[in-house]
Amino acid sequence: MLVRTLLFASLLCAPALAAQAHGGKAAAGAVECAKCHANRDFLIGKGPKPGEDSLLFVPPTILAGTAHDTLRCTSCHRGFEEGYPHRAGAPVVTPCQTCHEQEGRDWEASVHARNAESKGDAPTCVRCHGSHVIYPAKDPRSPIYRLNVAAKCGSCHGDPRIIGTYFATAAKEQGRIATTQYPKSVHGVAMTRDGLVVSATCSDCHRAHKILPADSTGSSVYRSTIPETCGACHSGLVRTFAASAHGTAYPNQPGMDSIQRPVCVDCHSAHGIARIDKPGWLSGVVGECGKCHEQLYETYFDTYHGKVTRLGFDVAAKCSDCHTAHDMRPPTDPQSSVSPAHLVATCGRCHAGANQNFIQYYAHGDPRQRLRYPRLYWPWLFMTTLLVGVMAFFGLHTALWVTRTAIDRRRGGEPGAGGLAGHGRPTGTGGTP
Amino acid sequence: MSTRPMNAADRGAGPYLWRFSPLNRTLHALVIVSFLGLVMTGLPLKFAYAPWAHALVGLVGGVETAGIIHRICAVITFGYFLTHVGNLIYRLITSPNRKAIVWGPTSMTPQLKDLQDIVAMFKWFLGKGPRPRFERYSYMEKFDYWAVFWGVAIIGTSGLMLWFPAFFAKLLPGWAFNIATIIHSDEALLATAFIFTIHFFNVHFRPEKFPIDTVIFTGRATTGYMKEEHELEYDRAVADGTLQARVAPPASRAAYLWSVVLGFISATIGIILVILVIWALLH
Repeated sequence: MLVRTLLFASLLCAPALAAQAHGGKAAAGAVECAKCHANRDFLIGKGPKPGEDSLLFVPPTILAGTAHDTLRCTSCHRGFEEGYPHRAGAPVVTPCQTCHEQEGRDWEASVHARNAESKGDAPTCVRCHGSHVIYPAKDPRSPIYRLNVAAKCGSCHGDPRIIGTYFATAAKEQGRIATTQYPKSVHGVAMTRDGLVVSATCSDCHRAHKILPADSTGSSVYRSTIPETCGACHSGLVRTFAASAHGTAYPNQPGMDSIQRPVCVDCHSAHGIARIDKPGWLSGVVGECGKCHEQLYETYFDTYHGKVTRLGFDVAAKCSDCHTAHDMRPPTDPQSSVSPAHLVATCGRCHAGANQNFIQYYAHGDPRQRLRYPRLYWPWLFMTTLLVGVMAFFGLHTALWVTRTAIDRRRGGEPGAGGLAGHGRPTGTGGTP
Repeated sequence: MSTRPMNAADRGAGPYLWRFSPLNRTLHALVIVSFLGLVMTGLPLKFAYAPWAHALVGLVGGVETAGIIHRICAVITFGYFLTHVGNLIYRLITSPNRKAIVWGPTSMTPQLKDLQDIVAMFKWFLGKGPRPRFERYSYMEKFDYWAVFWGVAIIGTSGLMLWFPAFFAKLLPGWAFNIATIIHSDEALLATAFIFTIHFFNVHFRPEKFPIDTVIFTGRATTGYMKEEHELEYDRAVADGTLQARVAPPASRAAYLWSVVLGFISATIGIILVILVIWALLH
């Protein structure tokens, strides 16, 4: 009800609720107002609409213990200082950004504010913070306390009715993914199950006030901004990543201009981020690498590593085991884990005793490429020829044998056809001329 | 058509004659068991992309278990191979007739006659001549034998390399493991394809033998069978008077039933596996 009161208020003036701590005793102001607003009998018939009288009911102690404990009623409800009867036409509430300037500006730039213009409705300050009973974000009672943020955002973003009414089609799916996957993600589990307030919640990635869709360049989740956003917490990883072949700090390789470099969410997803030691997770990322590295992807699955990985064995080497997860670089880069200088150590992580010989293994060898892998091509050609040759010869042998028997049988069997007693053909010295 | 025994080794007249020694029958049984184990656990790896690969791996107990079974069967394979080679060497040293082992009508060594038999067989196929008469081992059986000999040697060697890469890397460059993979995989596919189609046809499924021939399990077959399949050897035994010494009692009922049942089970598994290979190749 309080929320609706303020929503009503926000439609009249602007998204708002204000606070300005200019001294004075809140209680003094409240007492004046409470003469009427704490008196239900007096309020009968005075509501904004018939039957909404209770919207005007405000107990005098409502701000006690809140973030606005020291404010007077008129700090936000300016223009009502003269008491009753109220001055006609005064806005019910002064905008919150009268005091909270930066937050107000950020909100005005957000997709929420845009919705307010285009749809005539959007979450304003009070939808997330509450109206009279506003606690600081660090107070566990606050709806925007870190442990409560996801539930607060989810109250709209997980509501099919709201999603269907307000969100663009593509965003509907995103909204559903976000609210169903986040609680199961590492971030969500840490937050909700373990109560770990430093884990990431909605507002850490999407920001609290300047929330913008991912395709908007100013968004914190705009593609090229994502490493910076994740890096706010994962600082070390993102610095490593930035210097890697995938990172923007790495010199562009020939032909790479038109290729979009991957960012955090391509491998880790945005909302369903899982622990990397979850069974099958690293194997799943192989497919992600393969989206760009098509040939390496194919040749990987020709090797033992790839084949057992495909069968669900998590121990065999996957892309990141050799190329690292974030510091991947081409073999020509001396810093690369797959550069000649580092291969013994890289292979040696699994293969104890790997030496200079060992690292001459072609981890992506393709025997069908004669010019690139002549050492593999000729043995492959020999084995294939042997296979096809033997099967062709004996296949023909068998086919002719079956045919011969069928012909002989139709003729009732003749000497020389071979065959056994009781088989419809003469026994004995089959084949004697 | 008159009734005939289902088992080709029972067809034809006359008493049973010995054909395979207990050692060779045991070794062949080990070949069957280990080969089926190797193929069932190796095929899903070779055709990891096939729609059935996960299911087959699951059937044998998962990827790791499959790897363990594969290695156990490899050890069995080395076991029968070395036993055979050891026995061969022993016989070459102790046998009074050692030359017959390496050359001549009862030898496994390919002879000119085998080449002539192949030509004669194709002529017979085309209706241009009589069916050739075979010695103790026809060219098909010799091919089977040498295919296993060569197969075990190169699949075994390459398999050991892939089993102990760090050890072999002391001696060989890393790309030798790529080659070992190619050889191991392709030769194994050849063995699988050959055994489960050509070998099965030659020894079990060709019309004279369908659906099964237990001679390799019980070690004996009828005189009529021996006259049909290995006529020259039979004639020689008659000529030199050793036929009587080769007369065998019928196999015990239990041994006989086991032979038929295990033969059918192995053949069924083999056929299923070869169907899976074809499925994967067409996929």
